[in-house]
Amino acid sequence: MITVFRYSLRRLRGQVLGWGIGLALLGLLLVSMYDSIASNIGALEDYLEVFPEEFAAFFGDFTAFGTPEGFLGVEFFSYMPLILGIFAVLIGSGLLVSDEESGRLDLIMAQPVSRTGLFLGRLLAFVAASVGITVLTWAGLAVPMSWSTMDVGRGQLALPLLTMLVQVLLFGALALLLSMLLPSRRLAATTAGLLLVASFFITGFANINEDLEPVAKLSPLTYYQAQEAFGGLNWEWMAGLLGATLVFVLLGWWLFQRRDIRVGGEGGWRLPALPWRRSGSGEAN
Amino acid sequence: MSEELALKAEGLTKSYGRVRALRGIDLEMRRGEVLGYLGPNGAGKTTTIRCMLDLIRPDGGTLRVMGIDPQDDPVEVRSRAGYVPGELQMYENMTVEGVLRYVNGLRRDSADWSHVRELADRLDLDLAPAIKNLSHGNKQKVGVVQALMHRPELLLLDEPTLGLDPLMQREVLRLILEARSGGASVFFSSHIMSEVEAVADRVAIIRKGVVVEIADPSSLIRRAMRRAKVSFREPVDAGRLAEVQGVTVLSEDEGTSALLQVEGEMDGLIKALAALPVSDFETERPSLEEVFLSYYEDDEEEG
Repeated sequence: MITVFRYSLRRLRGQVLGWGIGLALLGLLLVSMYDSIASNIGALEDYLEVFPEEFAAFFGDFTAFGTPEGFLGVEFFSYMPLILGIFAVLIGSGLLVSDEESGRLDLIMAQPVSRTGLFLGRLLAFVAASVGITVLTWAGLAVPMSWSTMDVGRGQLALPLLTMLVQVLLFGALALLLSMLLPSRRLAATTAGLLLVASFFITGFANINEDLEPVAKLSPLTYYQAQEAFGGLNWEWMAGLLGATLVFVLLGWWLFQRRDIRVGGEGGWRLPALPWRRSGSGEAN
Repeated sequence: MSEELALKAEGLTKSYGRVRALRGIDLEMRRGEVLGYLGPNGAGKTTTIRCMLDLIRPDGGTLRVMGIDPQDDPVEVRSRAGYVPGELQMYENMTVEGVLRYVNGLRRDSADWSHVRELADRLDLDLAPAIKNLSHGNKQKVGVVQALMHRPELLLLDEPTLGLDPLMQREVLRLILEARSGGASVFFSSHIMSEVEAVADRVAIIRKGVVVEIADPSSLIRRAMRRAKVSFREPVDAGRLAEVQGVTVLSEDEGTSALLQVEGEMDGLIKALAALPVSDFETERPSLEEVFLSYYEDDEEEG
């Protein structure tokens, strides 16, 4: 499993650097801009007042835009799960199935690696990559605070990033589960991506339409704390999201244990297999 | 199950949806044996091999690899086996050495790297280039090296010489024979009859998901139908030869010569010819390829 983890993480280093440095630079830019924005906050708040409430529903509390937390909430954290969700969905859906569709999984699984070892090694690499991106993003936000008037503690800055990380892990695990169920990585990524986007819009619209609140309770992004996290994490929500992530992971693992490994190419629809007794007993199906 | 058997399959079945790939494979391979596995595309060769490594799960029957059910302990089976996939795919951006070190890492660095270099040298394989820059044949060499480098007890080779030039094909066959001399068992599928004939102790012929014949190549050839061409000093009634058991007259030339097909022993034909004015008699043994193809003549007729 260690070898699987090492090599999988190595293959993800491009993703970590790409996403991490990209988001870090965005954070650097935003924090650096804060001082000039804060000096014109009166005019800016007048400008933001004319925005429709639907806009605020998606991008957070505009009334707090003049505060560092509100500024970061609106300009950065409000849409970050949607952005990083792309990474989660693409990587999660391809963690195993990408190699299977290319035919590479045969060579890997012909070595003395258990399916569980392969699954866990790849999953941990995804977790480590997600953490790496989060750390780089944090650095991009934290470093410029040295010369900015933005007085957010570095530890406090980590709080919304933690909730963001949990969302990334959840959608990655969902994409992984879908890749075990659906005929192709492409379909799994598309489905997970649609669920991510749907979650974003349902959560946003539920802020302005109470009728959507029951549906929004099923949306993971409802439990995402953007600027609200600066005031402290909702640990119940975090536990619930991590619990859902664990359920997706366990289901994905269970399905991977039971599936036939394709030689290559896309496959057919796979319904969850019942735990049949295998051929060792001599019984035919 | 007897530890003397490297492989034992009984009634192995496997379907892919409506396609029945394996319809009851019965097979035994002794330890230290080279068993050739012959069959056309889609006969079930790759499916059989992949069941042995628990890459796919059979629907029914039993399978033991070195005494182990692959589904019970796939890691143990794979640790003792070396596999060349029929469709070999690797990470294109890795170098040859990178791929081999990765595989070796998955094997807990069990391979002696000097042995890896030796295998690479024998197959004229440069370890430096990226996989994407290799020809198909050189990629196949990587597959052969990774299968052999940890000196496995069992080799599962799915068309190991595919894409290799004749010199390298011969080298791979030498490696197979050396592995056998070292005590390894070798199970390999191939379309190239000459190489199967050259190295296999026994040949198993699979047809439509069932093993229809297992025998050593020479025995198969000996039992197979042969052709005999007979010339006569004076015209004879070739129909008399058709009455001999196992003899079919394929053609005749106005009684002066006849082309015969003989199934089984030649004794009956020889005795019949003894009463005739024979001027010349030639026989030819079929190649293993002709023997192999004879098992599929019915399929061609049905087609």
